[in-house]
Amino acid sequence: MIPSPASSSSGSRKKRMKRGPKARPGTKWRTAAQERVYGRRLLEALRATAALGPRAVKEAADSALAFTARGRSRWSRAILLSPRRKARLLLRTGSKIRRGRRRARAAEAGGRLRGRLRVLRRLVPGCRKLSAGSLLEEAADYVAALEMQVKAMRALADALSAAPAAAAAAEPGSRGGV
Amino acid sequence: MEPGGSSGVGSGNSGTYTPEIAESLRFEEEIQSLIHQSFDGSSAAGGSFTALLGLPANQAVELLHHPGPGEPPASAASSSPTAGDLWRLRLGEHHAATDALRLPFGGSSTFVERAARFSVFATDDSPASSSGGGLSPGLKAEPPDSDSPPTLPAPAGRPRRPSKRKECEKSKAKAVAKKSKSAEENTSAAKPAAEENTSGDKLPYVHVRARRGQATDSHSLAERARREKINARMKLLQDLVPGCSKITGTALVLDEIINHVQSLQRQVEFLSMKLAAVNPRIDFSGLDHILSAECGPLAVGSGCGGGASGTAMWASDTAASTGGIRRMPPPQQIWHLDLVHPQQSSTVWENNGAAHPHFLLSPAISLVGYDPAGSVPLNSNQLKMEL
Repeated sequence: MIPSPASSSSGSRKKRMKRGPKARPGTKWRTAAQERVYGRRLLEALRATAALGPRAVKEAADSALAFTARGRSRWSRAILLSPRRKARLLLRTGSKIRRGRRRARAAEAGGRLRGRLRVLRRLVPGCRKLSAGSLLEEAADYVAALEMQVKAMRALADALSAAPAAAAAAEPGSRGGV
Repeated sequence: MEPGGSSGVGSGNSGTYTPEIAESLRFEEEIQSLIHQSFDGSSAAGGSFTALLGLPANQAVELLHHPGPGEPPASAASSSPTAGDLWRLRLGEHHAATDALRLPFGGSSTFVERAARFSVFATDDSPASSSGGGLSPGLKAEPPDSDSPPTLPAPAGRPRRPSKRKECEKSKAKAVAKKSKSAEENTSAAKPAAEENTSGDKLPYVHVRARRGQATDSHSLAERARREKINARMKLLQDLVPGCSKITGTALVLDEIINHVQSLQRQVEFLSMKLAAVNPRIDFSGLDHILSAECGPLAVGSGCGGGASGTAMWASDTAASTGGIRRMPPPQQIWHLDLVHPQQSSTVWENNGAAHPHFLLSPAISLVGYDPAGSVPLNSNQLKMEL
């Protein structure tokens, strides 16, 4: 699975150099293709969670998002490789996030840029020790990914909630049609 | 491919694996394969930003459009010090090979020795090796002979390596602005590691010219480079976060960004609660139709047909299992919750162009016979109210 370093890496390196710069996070995450990819992964993840509770769903959704990021950004790697996916830890991480939010509001007061950078570090997963520049870059990617996640989840939730109820009402009609 | 793989793993190992664990196994394998792929060959795509870690912003923006010859992949790999063991090994192999390939640059013996030393480092520690790999391709034809003592022993270099990288980055800014002077400064101030950096590493790096009227101190140069890089990234973020373009001042923009991230995370939590509520009564076999309808505007017609048949099947199945009464309260709950956050939904839909929710609703609407009313947010709320 891992390509041999000598030939393939140099060859792929040349290809990568010719290909040009990567797309910006704003454009990279907003394509319909990405949403489709994420939607499918989210669906698989939901099937796997089998209603373990909302926190399990959230973890599954985040993991699916990080997976769709293909491990290229630091936060996605942190999500994927964190031991979050153990069932017992789900509760702990849920509470950790809430505690972080409260502390975030407190830390905002401390210094203009430094304090806010600290808050941002806590918000973006896996960016605890990054420098300011890379932190901002990871934050950009994370924001774009989150927007896509919200969009996809909202669409999925609407579809799931609307369709069965609608089908119940239209059952006689559609049965006749099918 | 993926469901088959996971089921194979689960059935092959034992019956005690929960789907979650099987999925986590599968995910981890795929993650590692992805990460290896991305690091080995294509780290530049994900890492071209991180590759510009050491570069000042203006030149970095240029480089974004015209990437330099060799530095993105290698320094991109270098900028991820949190790599796991497997990654480090892969990187070590990778960069050892590429260092060997990149040897005949200037052709002088010092280059060869230095590259050989970096490849020795490669087996030990990835950041140094990748920095060496990133640096050697960018070697310019500067005479390094004066202050390049190729006497630095390999094992002694190991503790200095992290400091070497930092000095490396600082010295990039310094050395290029005033080449000989900064080299002298570095050699006087720092250890031989720094000498080696400034002299040997002709970084594919950016020339930070001191502008007219600005201090040409090496420290302020580095600071200015760092500031410019941060400002460029802030501009990117400003474009991404809605409503930030009007705000001037880094602190307020950061505030807005933090608020936006928090609100997005809150929305994700809320939507996950909603999905968890909806989950139990869903038959997942019919969902693929819905998904194709959601994501393919062109396939709405076929999606409608598929969706109709799918949901009809669900209705027949779930009617027997769950009963009609149970289906009623959840939609009402969801309606209530959704109306509690009408602002969120409208902003999200305004931002995202609202193409997808609209198409999503059309199969449901076609089933029930509603008319698709004018704007999308109103549409969804109306639908929910009528349910």
